[in-house]
Amino acid sequence: MGLNEKPLSTLHEKASYDLADFEVPTGREEAWRFTPLSRLKGLHNGKAEPVGHVRVDVDAAPEVTVETVGRDDARVGKSFVPADRVSAQAWNSFEKATVITVPREAVTSKPTVLTLTGSGDGAAYGHLVIKVEPMAEAAIVLDHKGSGVYADNIEFVVGDGASLKIVSLQDWDDDAVHVSHHHAQLAKDATFRSFVVTLGGDLVRLSPSVSYTAAGGDADLSGVYFVDAGQHLEHRLLVDHSQPNCKSNVDYRGALQGQDAHAVWIGDVIIRVEAEGTDTYELNRNLILTDGARADSVPNLEILTGEVAGAGHASASGRLDDEHIFYLQARGIPHDEARRLVVRGFLGQLIEKIQIEEIRDRVFAALEDELAR
Amino acid sequence: MTVTDRPELEGLGNYKFGWADPDAAGAAAKRGLSEEVVRNISALKNEPEWMLDLRLKGLRLFDKKPLPTWGSDLTGIDFDNIKYFVRSTEKQAASWDELPPDIKNTYDKLGIPEAEKQRLIAGVAAQYESEVVYHKIREDLEEKGVIFLDTDTGLKEHPELFQEYFGSVIPVGDNKFAALNSAVWSGGSFIYVPPNVEVEIPLQAYFRINTENMGQFERTLIIVDENSYVHYVEGCTAPIYSSDSLHSAVVEIIVKKNARCRYTTIQNWSNNVYNLVTKRAVAYEGATMEWIDGNIGSKVTMKYPAVYLMGEHAKGETLSVAFAGEGQHQDAGSKMVHLAPNTSSSVISKSVARGGGRTSYRGLVQIEEGAHGSASTVKCDALLVDQISRSDTYPYVDVREDDVSMGHEATVSKVSEDQLFYLMSRGLDEDEAMAMIVRGFVEPIARELPMEYALELNRLIELQMEGAVG
Repeated sequence: MGLNEKPLSTLHEKASYDLADFEVPTGREEAWRFTPLSRLKGLHNGKAEPVGHVRVDVDAAPEVTVETVGRDDARVGKSFVPADRVSAQAWNSFEKATVITVPREAVTSKPTVLTLTGSGDGAAYGHLVIKVEPMAEAAIVLDHKGSGVYADNIEFVVGDGASLKIVSLQDWDDDAVHVSHHHAQLAKDATFRSFVVTLGGDLVRLSPSVSYTAAGGDADLSGVYFVDAGQHLEHRLLVDHSQPNCKSNVDYRGALQGQDAHAVWIGDVIIRVEAEGTDTYELNRNLILTDGARADSVPNLEILTGEVAGAGHASASGRLDDEHIFYLQARGIPHDEARRLVVRGFLGQLIEKIQIEEIRDRVFAALEDELAR
Repeated sequence: MTVTDRPELEGLGNYKFGWADPDAAGAAAKRGLSEEVVRNISALKNEPEWMLDLRLKGLRLFDKKPLPTWGSDLTGIDFDNIKYFVRSTEKQAASWDELPPDIKNTYDKLGIPEAEKQRLIAGVAAQYESEVVYHKIREDLEEKGVIFLDTDTGLKEHPELFQEYFGSVIPVGDNKFAALNSAVWSGGSFIYVPPNVEVEIPLQAYFRINTENMGQFERTLIIVDENSYVHYVEGCTAPIYSSDSLHSAVVEIIVKKNARCRYTTIQNWSNNVYNLVTKRAVAYEGATMEWIDGNIGSKVTMKYPAVYLMGEHAKGETLSVAFAGEGQHQDAGSKMVHLAPNTSSSVISKSVARGGGRTSYRGLVQIEEGAHGSASTVKCDALLVDQISRSDTYPYVDVREDDVSMGHEATVSKVSEDQLFYLMSRGLDEDEAMAMIVRGFVEPIARELPMEYALELNRLIELQMEGAVG
């Protein structure tokens, strides 16, 4: 029995388009142990009938084409295979998919904004494909609002030498449930910048993943979340390095306040045998502002080759440092203002990375709003 | 630069302890596990009824529990082919000369009597196959009430302590291998340090497997009473055989209020030993438990020394270093369970993989409700010496309390070309340069070892690294 007869990676779970291949989670599975299943409103066990809807409004840049297509469209479902039960449920239940195409070598003149508004009257399933053809450049904003129970899959297909920046805002009403899988597939020398902002919703579980089809891909995944009392905000990242000389960098930061505010961050990276010259780093930090909040942060790293440029991860969760507050108070800044400044400094560093100005301003405003609560 | 270019260098002559002694006792021993085997072990040892019951319970639970599906591949263990109990000598010797010549010879080669003569150690135990064959503690410590016995004798002489503590830290059914150990345990060390006693030089145990397909199941119980200190050191070796042996120990440690215990292991089993060990300590108020864990040998090691921090301001520390060469998987780490307020833990793990070997850090930090003000840091560094080796990091964190601070950091890196070039430009050849870099990498752990073990570790690194570059 050689060591290599074991499945090479334990982080990479099975993937299938068939819902029957995934058992209904019980909460004991590694992938579901943090998620309060009872609050998923049936998304995980097939009981969430697609009676609601989530409206998709697109304010597109003139260079891109926007289409609404059926399930049988050849471009849908090409870049990913569902890797968990809810993702498979969404894949099997959506009716219409939105496909946005950025044509070859086009450089968009403004961000394309998709507003997804939940009607609040039951479960809905969606599918989005964003396809950036070779050498093109685009910025996309996904703005989730309203209420409801929503599960979807989003495919980001980034062509050779193309560049895609996305911002995904989860600014749901307080009672929304959203389970989403973002998958980015990077071709040769493709660049992908993702920025996730999760603020609203009763339960949000977002699983961004990245795969590479050729050498030279570069992915940067950032995220900011602010968890209030009773909220469960979960981000599960997977970067699968299977090609040589690709890069990935993950930086997620969150602040938590209030009773039973719960943040979960899982950061998995696999560096496969072929992926020589990989450079990867993952970071998660949580700032706990009040008693009663809890942050779970688990980075995992599997490296199957000895030839890596660099690999590492770090995770830290802690309370707001009393000394920082004291220092500011000693300089005459009132306690609440001092606290606000520290949190703003902690998250602001990351928020600054959002290159679309109006979105950046909106996130800062939302942060101020949260801190005023 | 790859090791695969020079296969003739791989592993040849690297293992110094690979000789085997003539093996009459082992050849006669029975293979396989059954209730009869368990009853026989217990009867041979004249054990009290409650211990037999505990063994039988262990056997039932062992049969019931599945093999772990995570970690290493354990399907290669043939439980029916293992010899569960091998008695190598009829009675424990009071001096090395009383031992059968084969066994004495072995320990001479390992250098144990010499170390004892030079008073580098305060007490020594030597376990050969299933039982401790030699045992000695310095007279002055004995006068202070320090007990250092093999576990079988300990059970006979101090049944009250065993009734109270045996199996209290690691329950019989804790996991499949702890259950197996509970069923067939034999040998190991029993230490009791009375309150306010500092044992300033280490107590040492040396474990040797000689028989092919032997299962060694030693059971160690250490109780450090209030305000006391003890350092226990163990080393392990075995001959190289073509088929596998199993080492499955259970180590239970109780560190009472304001006491401190340090437990050092240098595991250098030959590459045909499955090393599946359960080690756990409980630390009460203000107590400190330190695990220093070196994993160099074995085919597969799965070992996660744990500290349960039971009292306020208790502290747990693990320093762990692992080397994996060809065909080896070192799946090691540490568990820190915070059960009381203001407890702290730190884990530092260093691993080196070469020649297609695999090192994994697998850890757990758990902070239970009520353990507010607790702090934990985990730092893992892995060094990869070639392209075909692998390294994984699975830190597991479970926090159920607020007001805690958690930190985890891991890096995986290659030996840098610049460092190699620098050393080689100063006249070192590549092997030496590589060994020097690796020694520097593990230095923070090596310096925590008793001197002779640090030297041993450095020597082992050199052997491991020999031929690592082609």
